[in-house]
Amino acid sequence: MTDTFDFEALASKLKPKCDVLIARYERPRSALLPMMHLFQDEQGYVSQEAMQFAADRLDLTTAEVEATVSFYSLFFRKPVGKYMLQVCRGLMCELRGAEAILAYFREKLGVGHLETTGDGVFSYEEVECLAACNRATCMQVNLEFVYDLTPAMIDDMIAGMRAGSYPVKPMAQTAPPGRTWKVNADSEIGTGGKSPGTRTSSEPNNAGGVGDSSGIIMLDSFVTKDISFTGRSRERLVRDARGVAEIIEENGSRH
Amino acid sequence: MPVTKILTAGIGEADLRDIKVYRERGGYKQWERAVRELTPNDVFEACDKSGLRGRGGAGFPTGRKWSFLPKDVLPRYLVCNCDEAEPGTFKDHMLLEETPHLVLEGILLGAYGIQCHHAFIYIRGEFKRGYEIFMKALDEARAAGLVGTNLFGKGYDLEVTVHRGAGAYICGEETGLLNSLEGKRGEPRLKPPFPAIAGLYGAPTVVNNVETLAYLVPILERGPQWFAAVGTERSKGYKIVSISGHVQKPGNYEVEVGTTIRELIEIGGGLLPGRKFMAVQPGGGSSAAIFEEHLDYPYDYESMAKAGSMMGSGAFTVFDDSTDFVKAAFNLIRFYTHESCGQCTPCREGGHWLERVLHRFVEGRGLRSDIEMIRRIGHTITGLNLCALGDSIEPFLLSVLNRFPDQFEARLLKETVQA
Repeated sequence: MTDTFDFEALASKLKPKCDVLIARYERPRSALLPMMHLFQDEQGYVSQEAMQFAADRLDLTTAEVEATVSFYSLFFRKPVGKYMLQVCRGLMCELRGAEAILAYFREKLGVGHLETTGDGVFSYEEVECLAACNRATCMQVNLEFVYDLTPAMIDDMIAGMRAGSYPVKPMAQTAPPGRTWKVNADSEIGTGGKSPGTRTSSEPNNAGGVGDSSGIIMLDSFVTKDISFTGRSRERLVRDARGVAEIIEENGSRH
Repeated sequence: MPVTKILTAGIGEADLRDIKVYRERGGYKQWERAVRELTPNDVFEACDKSGLRGRGGAGFPTGRKWSFLPKDVLPRYLVCNCDEAEPGTFKDHMLLEETPHLVLEGILLGAYGIQCHHAFIYIRGEFKRGYEIFMKALDEARAAGLVGTNLFGKGYDLEVTVHRGAGAYICGEETGLLNSLEGKRGEPRLKPPFPAIAGLYGAPTVVNNVETLAYLVPILERGPQWFAAVGTERSKGYKIVSISGHVQKPGNYEVEVGTTIRELIEIGGGLLPGRKFMAVQPGGGSSAAIFEEHLDYPYDYESMAKAGSMMGSGAFTVFDDSTDFVKAAFNLIRFYTHESCGQCTPCREGGHWLERVLHRFVEGRGLRSDIEMIRRIGHTITGLNLCALGDSIEPFLLSVLNRFPDQFEARLLKETVQA
């Protein structure tokens, strides 16, 4: 992926800065997040090499570094587009019309949640509350706030980014982005959020820690799948749904 | 009661990011006075006597929190929590970007009050602009001899380190924050030991919110009695309330604690024309909704608890009659499910399960038995987790389900087929 990118050159360039960061703390490991920010700013994402570099420098295992980096949603572990559009889907923005704004973005960009456009210009994510609810609906472009969004602003923004005239600095792009920058997140992408109906039992819930309880997912997908498929009558589906609910209830009442 | 301007004084009028402007307005005078004339205990006494309580959400008395530090154990640390991410809260974001020197002066005073020599501020990863503004402010203060070694020639050393997060709500929880500051996953720790005993690097640590620390500056300037004279019996002083949702002028408004809910809605510009009041969420996404009968309750810690909710971080979201409470509840559940760190089963699985059930309702496929199940799952999540995130999942959902059951019943799967 980084065949054409000279990581060694970047590492020697950033090494002195990393040393400064490490010196700021009583223990070296505290410098891990700042170091990863540094590498992401230069490389556009947190590469395997960057994580390996941090592991070596901080005397950690690569597993420790990866486990930490993967916890934080602002670290992109695969290449992203030049403009990371993170649009707020929080409740306070939703009360002020975020749903229409999100739909407009998806339509204009032709991609969904956690996806990058084919030309590698835009990455799109629907994010949680950005702490700017007084100026809803809001978003961030490469972490710069944009407030009080309207469709006209979105049109201008996208046109400006395509033309290279948008006033926010593009992300560094040292490798071509894929469809998503999430690792193992196929269940999430394109759904406009963690839409429960789209997961299957083989996919993790990405909530950190242990994977999902597949039993619940199987039951749940049984109830919530679109009921338009053939071979079963609607009557039977409703009955099945009730049956499932009873099973869930029995399970619940054991607590 | 009117809007007051204490921490918010000068915002929008002067460029408080400039240390010269800040100092012309009396900035850093309290810091200089503290180091030159006051003992750390004087600062502690002022904080304690003012009745100041944590403005980050829990409302724990700040003086008492400091008092838990074991005597004479060094090193010890002060950490300023600027990982503001509670849905509906945007006060720290404003303070950080608009008046960074006040934030810094509060940190310095807090650090002096607990006698530590290294303080940290943990800034939410999304606040990149705020981070840059604060870094500049810190550089200015360092150049002016306000941060560093042998301050004001009195032999006191204090270093401040800025640490930027990377996108995780749970790092606002104080032990999650400490783990993140140590370069680990931001997973909350088992308590006890509380941070006052074993916090950052295992040393005694105080974690205080931005707004809490910032109030130390006017408290030292005007005296603890000034702060304690305002507010209600056990909730003292002033509070920045982040008013959002269905009001005409959403924004941050600094008010006396104890201003009524009705007054706060008026301060936020009132409801949009032709709309009817339905509910307020008075303490961020984690808090239960309160309703018409609570409009004359004073906005303080005790009254909000009496109303079945909480004051929290001061996020005040107004809902009018255009609100779809099923969707609103789904939105918040999705948030908590997304932000659960995954350590505790009730929070990780319970939230996830509730999200799925709620999604059925959003799509008009709810089951009648789900309603009872929601109530039961809710009660099996709360109180069983390492931190309060799990306890934050159900309050809003249950409050609106109980208040507006018709909105949920309208989303039941239509049973058109006769059995």
